[in-house]
Amino acid sequence: MSLSSKKGKSRGKKKGLLKRKGSTGSSGSHGSGDIKIASDKKHKAKAIQEAMRSDPPDIANLRRLAISDGGLLRDDLRRKAWPKLMNVNVFEIPPKPANIRAHRDYRQVVLDVERSMRRFPANMKEEQRSRLQDQLVDIILRVLVRHPELHYYQGYHDICVTFLLVVGEDLAFAIMDKLSEYHLRDFMDESMDRTRHILGYLMPIVGKAHPELRDFLERSDVGTIFALSWLITWYGHVLTDIRHIVRLYDFFLACHPLMPIYLAAQIVLYRSEDILRVECEMTMVHHTLSRLPEDLPFEHLVSRAGDLFIQYPPSMLAKEAELEFLSSTTISCYEDFEMATNQKPDTVLRRRRRFGNSTAQNGDVKTVQLRKPTNLALKFAVWAISASLGAAALAVVNVVNEWF
Amino acid sequence: METENTTSEVSELESTFSVEKQKRIFKIIVIGDSNVGKTCLTFRFCGGKFPDKTEATIGVDFRERTLEIDTETIKLQLWDTAGQERFRKSMVQHYYRNVHAVVFVYDMTKLASFENMPAWIDECDRHSLSADVPRILVGNKCDEKDKIQVSTNLAQKFADMHCMPLFETSAKDDSEADNVEAIFMTLAHKLKAHKQMMNKALPRYNSTDMKRAKVISIGREKSGSSSDCAC
Repeated sequence: MSLSSKKGKSRGKKKGLLKRKGSTGSSGSHGSGDIKIASDKKHKAKAIQEAMRSDPPDIANLRRLAISDGGLLRDDLRRKAWPKLMNVNVFEIPPKPANIRAHRDYRQVVLDVERSMRRFPANMKEEQRSRLQDQLVDIILRVLVRHPELHYYQGYHDICVTFLLVVGEDLAFAIMDKLSEYHLRDFMDESMDRTRHILGYLMPIVGKAHPELRDFLERSDVGTIFALSWLITWYGHVLTDIRHIVRLYDFFLACHPLMPIYLAAQIVLYRSEDILRVECEMTMVHHTLSRLPEDLPFEHLVSRAGDLFIQYPPSMLAKEAELEFLSSTTISCYEDFEMATNQKPDTVLRRRRRFGNSTAQNGDVKTVQLRKPTNLALKFAVWAISASLGAAALAVVNVVNEWF
Repeated sequence: METENTTSEVSELESTFSVEKQKRIFKIIVIGDSNVGKTCLTFRFCGGKFPDKTEATIGVDFRERTLEIDTETIKLQLWDTAGQERFRKSMVQHYYRNVHAVVFVYDMTKLASFENMPAWIDECDRHSLSADVPRILVGNKCDEKDKIQVSTNLAQKFADMHCMPLFETSAKDDSEADNVEAIFMTLAHKLKAHKQMMNKALPRYNSTDMKRAKVISIGREKSGSSSDCAC
């Protein structure tokens, strides 16, 4: 493994690493709709840059932009925005430790990274891929060596490789270091009990939105393992197009750590017709669920997953599903994370829902409203938090001052 | 009265018909250490070739293949599991339920993967699988002749001790493809015979009956020499 310590500056070289075509749906024709999309994108890209340039960076706005249609749009914007969303200080990235090979998980990491070829662009030269694979091993072990309490799991490398391909080695490490302490913390216990706990939210969410579907899934005894690789790899393991993966990462980095499970629920809901058509039997249902269609409408799903989160927040489900809400470090520590970044990402979703997502399809909004919770207290809470967003956005403090 | 009789007759007929028409399905779980080749073996058997790029399995993957055996169509469902220990403890257990056979896989070029076999057998036992659920032991990567660390002799002794037949093969080597086929066909024959017996004795079996059903040991087939097997 190469242990050469290059600083962040060499990252620029990787700019052309990922094939970047126009975003889904905007290529081909030259109608007025396309021109509008292009100008919207230009406008959005400008907004993203402005949010990052302001001092301190306007994280609330950045989150809103990361969630809304198209996410952060381009990898050059992601390279700057992702570290900001994770409150990473790009000037104080801890150096590589020397003893990574001695780590208990070293062998497993190498085995998994060696088999991760599919995750690199198909046209990449072997030499370059192999160098990146070395860096991938280093990133993973740098995190693990720094946090002895964290345990490597197969699939962790699928998240790391996405960051490596977009932001380069050092920043990928810095982001993973944060992410592992917060969003991925439960997956990194010695056992996977708390990962199961997170998976335990899936059926309650599905059940809220579509009780018959939940009933069908439970009768089939399919369990929730079909969604395990979605959850613990943030979909990196199951999607083939890197553009979809990075779009989802924009969304997840801007949201509550349980958002990947809300997206899983949304995908299941979206596919309800396909699912209900198969025989109500474990293998058939597992087979159908575990194979994600290539053409999932991700913008639609992202938007709907956000809606599900607002309608059925984790606290509501934890109570209903009799789950031990506080037993999750990821969830309970999320408040600390929010404090550290001085942001409440959930409010972004709430505001977005309240004012309507300008890019959401009308049909979506209607469906969501049909299922709107009647709980007055919840409505009030949503309203109150939405109203206080302005104050929250103003309260961004110096912690986030040191951006480039 | 008459109508009722007719109705019940018809439904009985229908159910018999559907039982006959229905393919028999056998569920097989494939376990063993990380990177021993579980995915490649199941892919070779179900997909007919060696996959060019396999990744670490996360949780479980599912593959199936339909076979014709003695004019009967049966379906083998292979559950390919993650090798990393953490997955087997709390994730994979769901897939041990109602399993008809277990395939233990080790890498002939990695002694550690063979030395971990007792742990996998314990694991299997912990899921209180019936003793008569057929188990087979597969040593993979036999094509890497220069790197072999697990001798056939050693593996055979272990297999005998645990009443399992041993197969050495390579999912990668095309000339060994028949062998991969043979492994699962052996299992399919065994399962077919097993279930026919059960069906005769217990037309409507349930899981308890299944455990009670007597099975011919598949362990004798290749192990031969050992006499102290309890099965």
